[in-house]
Amino acid sequence: MIRLEGVSKIYPPDVHGLRDITLDIDPGEFVSIVGQSGAGKTTLARLLIAEEQPTRGKIEIGGWDITRIRSRRIPDLRRQVGVVFQDFKLLPKKTVWENVTFALEVSGVPTRRIRDVTPQVLKIVGLEEKAERFPYQLSGGEQQRVVIARALVHRPKILLADEPTGNLDSINTRDIIDLLLKINAFGTTIVLVTHNREVVNALRRRVITLANGQVAADHKEGKYLLPT
Amino acid sequence: MSIAITSGRIVSYAWKNFARNAWIGLATVFVLVLALLSVNVLVGVSAMLDRAVTILEDKIDISVYFKNDTPEAVLQQAQFFMAGLPQVREVSLLNSDQALDAFKERHANDPRIMEALAELDQNPLGASLVIRGRKPDDYPFLLEALKNPQFGSAIESKTYDDHAEAIRQVRDIGASARLFGAILIAIFALFSAMIVYNAIRVAIYTQREEIGVMRLVGASSSFVRMPFVVEGLFIAALALVLTAGVVAATIAFLEPRLIPFFDGSDPGLRLFFYGRFWYLLAAEGGTLVVLVTISSWAAVGKYLKR
Ligand SMILES: Nc1ncnc2c1ncn2[C@@H]1O[C@H](COP(=O)(O)OP(=O)(O)O)[C@@H](O)[C@H]1O
Ligand SMILES: [Mg+2]
Repeated sequence: MIRLEGVSKIYPPDVHGLRDITLDIDPGEFVSIVGQSGAGKTTLARLLIAEEQPTRGKIEIGGWDITRIRSRRIPDLRRQVGVVFQDFKLLPKKTVWENVTFALEVSGVPTRRIRDVTPQVLKIVGLEEKAERFPYQLSGGEQQRVVIARALVHRPKILLADEPTGNLDSINTRDIIDLLLKINAFGTTIVLVTHNREVVNALRRRVITLANGQVAADHKEGKYLLPT
Repeated sequence: MSIAITSGRIVSYAWKNFARNAWIGLATVFVLVLALLSVNVLVGVSAMLDRAVTILEDKIDISVYFKNDTPEAVLQQAQFFMAGLPQVREVSLLNSDQALDAFKERHANDPRIMEALAELDQNPLGASLVIRGRKPDDYPFLLEALKNPQFGSAIESKTYDDHAEAIRQVRDIGASARLFGAILIAIFALFSAMIVYNAIRVAIYTQREEIGVMRLVGASSSFVRMPFVVEGLFIAALALVLTAGVVAATIAFLEPRLIPFFDGSDPGLRLFFYGRFWYLLAAEGGTLVVLVTISSWAAVGKYLKR
């Protein structure tokens, strides 16, 4: 589903974001990417949605070589990879419902289909009752669930979440992880970037540890190896 | 992705963008109106000066005064000959009785002249012929043609005024007005492009979060860009409508007050602007649309760089 071959990213002039990364993620996997701050986790995530281009190496998503993707094909890629990013917030002046439909509207989805899809994704994240609320009327965990709902509108093959629990307490964190597991159970490949030792250890899924832009460890039923 | 759905959404987003920054939008409209007005003032002044030249050229004629006792047949022959020339637009013959009537009418309020006239027992005026050519250049030829031996000797005098000095002055004014106007328009065009660019930058700034969302959820770049271009077109359309209103009001106010300067005849502004309404709208509107589209396109361009 995701395949990186000898991928390096150098930010001009000479900051190494990633060094010679090779990895393979199968469809339906739930993979955690861990590592200290500056290890290259976000860089990896940005490469996967063509927000950045690799300096060297090759990236494939679902068999599609996106290494030198043309800008007009990027929207296609973004519909296949749903994203939950730290700096990718809800629109504060739109309700939950509007935040979700906006993502569909701007992608040119017909109105009738928007009316079908929106309740479905809100139901998955358990917020169909709060569709008319504004973001400031929701808890941090609920806001993050709306962000996840928005990432699901195109029924992506991959859901990419960069520190989705970064600002949440342990109960909300638990909720979000359970939600990701639920989405994974529907068959969506999950790539979860996180700092959180308990989360990773409780998951008992594959863990890829990055250090200094390199893969330091890759374990099938991994543990958080690094000191926190 | 259906075109109808997308264009409907683009227009609605464009309208929301405009409403969100209404004051900047209206200020932009104002500057565009000024630019368009400067164009129309130039066009209008130019049309009036052309009209003034036409009126002056229209006044050019040759008056030929015949000797008092010229027989009617010679007069007829002169009229017939001149009217037959292709360069002649109009010939009118005034025989001596008509000339006397016209003279009396013109001086009806002057008792001394009327008294002097009454003392004469015979009509002192001869017949006259007024000749108008088609073009100002035709007159030298017509003056030559009047030397025709069949009636040339019966001519007592000729008067010819080509209004050359007046026409030259009007043309000079026209030339400097056009030069000055062109400079003004160039300056306004530059300002317009800059202010449209900045208005769209502001619109983009207030929409930056939405743009971020659009790009990450897979909106095409044209969907990100088009609302801003369409917003620019809204601004342009509003400016065009307002300008048309101001121009129409100005013509209605000004034209009656200009008639005295045109010797009582129509300054021709209404005729000019309304006669070419669609042409002017297409020319000014087209230029504005191109200018606005390029500015807004460029303004969004930076944001679409990935
Ligand atoms: N846009 C950028 N320009 C320059 N350097 C960057 C940029 N983004 C990240 N980096 C650098 O790349 C390295 C990896 O960063 P990042 O991928 O954000 O790490 P993480 O998400 O694991 O904390 C860091 O040294 C960071 O300073
Ligand atoms: Mg990061």
